[in-house]
Amino acid sequence: MHIFMIIFPILLTVLFTLALIPLLVWMERRVAALIQDRLGPNRCNIKGVRLGGMIQPFADMLKLLFKEEFYPKHVKHKIYYILAPGIVFASSFLSFMVIPYADDITLDNYTYQIQALPIELGVLWIFAFAGLGVYGIIIAGWSSHNKYSILGSLRASSQVISYEIAMGLSIVSMLITYGSISLNDMVHFQSELIFGFIPAWGIVLQPLAGLIFIVTAFAETNRAPFDAAEGESEIVAGYHTEYSAMKFALFFMGEYIAMTAASALIVTLFFGGYQIPWLNTQSMHEHINLIIMALMALLPLVSLGFVSWMRRNNSCDISRRRETYFATILITIFVLALESFFLYLLISGLNGQQSSVFIMILQIGSFALKVMMMNFVFVWVRWTFPRFRYDQTQHLGWRILLPLSLFNIFVTATFVVVSGV
Amino acid sequence: MGVKVVKRHGDSFKDKTYLWAVFSGMRVTLKKFTANLSDTTCIPTCEYPEAQPEDITNRYRGMHRLTHRDDDSVRCVACFMCATACPAECIFIEAEERLDGVDEKQPSRFDIDLLECIFCGYCVEACPCDAIRMDTGIFSIVAKEREDFILNKEQLLKNRGAFGQENSLA
Repeated sequence: MHIFMIIFPILLTVLFTLALIPLLVWMERRVAALIQDRLGPNRCNIKGVRLGGMIQPFADMLKLLFKEEFYPKHVKHKIYYILAPGIVFASSFLSFMVIPYADDITLDNYTYQIQALPIELGVLWIFAFAGLGVYGIIIAGWSSHNKYSILGSLRASSQVISYEIAMGLSIVSMLITYGSISLNDMVHFQSELIFGFIPAWGIVLQPLAGLIFIVTAFAETNRAPFDAAEGESEIVAGYHTEYSAMKFALFFMGEYIAMTAASALIVTLFFGGYQIPWLNTQSMHEHINLIIMALMALLPLVSLGFVSWMRRNNSCDISRRRETYFATILITIFVLALESFFLYLLISGLNGQQSSVFIMILQIGSFALKVMMMNFVFVWVRWTFPRFRYDQTQHLGWRILLPLSLFNIFVTATFVVVSGV
Repeated sequence: MGVKVVKRHGDSFKDKTYLWAVFSGMRVTLKKFTANLSDTTCIPTCEYPEAQPEDITNRYRGMHRLTHRDDDSVRCVACFMCATACPAECIFIEAEERLDGVDEKQPSRFDIDLLECIFCGYCVEACPCDAIRMDTGIFSIVAKEREDFILNKEQLLKNRGAFGQENSLA
């Protein structure tokens, strides 16, 4: 049990990063298609099972795995050339390590932190590795020895100097508000209520810092509207022009992991982390039976809505109808099984440890839901806005976001000193 | 002459913050997304191999065909007008004497290389006998070998018009 509880958050980290990538690729392509009045990839199937196109990312992955590992002859510093995708991938992966997925849990008189690295450094760790990710991009562009790649890494470096300061300063005002650099403490702080009914989320306390941080987080993940570094319409593919097969796939996966990491950080700092609104861990322990009953009521409603949506939109021909039919049966079995499990929990009653495990699972679910919603915002923004030119990014960073974040620190610090909180 | 002062847009504080425009842009895309997600039938794209296009009009220039006379013989008199007009030079004709008394000349060979053809329709315009048309409505031309894309006289004569003799405009 002890070993499992230590490995469990690491498993969760792997789930949230590697296992989420196919889902995110699928989400990106389908959301883009729906925004642009298209259907998107929906043809890939295994024996007629399409899952709404969710098989497609696996096919893409297989293709990238079996592609030829091509090394351009003109690359002089091969070590940097090979190292660069690894840096991008590893740094975005590592920045995920300190995100708390659930509240501290006490099992058998031992308190476990549900984060892969149980350290208090939190924000500092994330900034260390998030900042390192850009080095991968710069090194990739430089070592590719190609004019397009050099331009891409030039843009990446010019972007880095424009957003990092505003990002750091917007976090400073959050640190003043929360009075801690540990992400878990920050989430604890956000479980309170203001005036008794508004959740004390970071976005409510510090809307300006939240806005600045979200904008700079977009820049940090190198996604639209700040994806000038790869700018496929101007400089071919920017820094990864010379990369193919799995080396390219590492950049590609690194981008999505960075996106999830940024979403997780935004959720942790500004949207209450794993907290379910109006229900902190203490009150969940008190009303555990009510929560189970609410879940029992909610589950059939949600699945009924999903099934009716599926029957409306996934029954254009006979094979689609068959897939919908089997999916409906599977969902019904799943819902019935969960309902009977909840009923069993209600009847037998939960002791302290069981209810804390149950609450932990609920909190992980709430965190996952919030992260997915934030990821959706990332995708949504990407397919809405045109790209910033890199001097425009600098203008935004230095002339607008930096003064605003300094102003925000000033106001926050004044408020904290005057009110003496 | 008076000077008309046109008010510049984007000077107000609301426009300068950009946030208003940002959020209204995001509202537009979200509306599209939710509308298309809740009812995929309102997406205008068609699921092609299962759903065939329904908007092929009688002006559509599809695969070529050679038309027939009333007695079902070839209408073409091998005058080389289409081959001369062809900008892609994809029509290859060899003429021979016609011995059944209907006309003086007929093609012994009439090949169209569909890989060279640009489907401009000049051959149809040039033909003085209404012998070549592009009104088959066939838009998807598939073959496994390059040679299979070269249509000969028999294949061209086998194609039939999709819109009837009178309605055809291609």
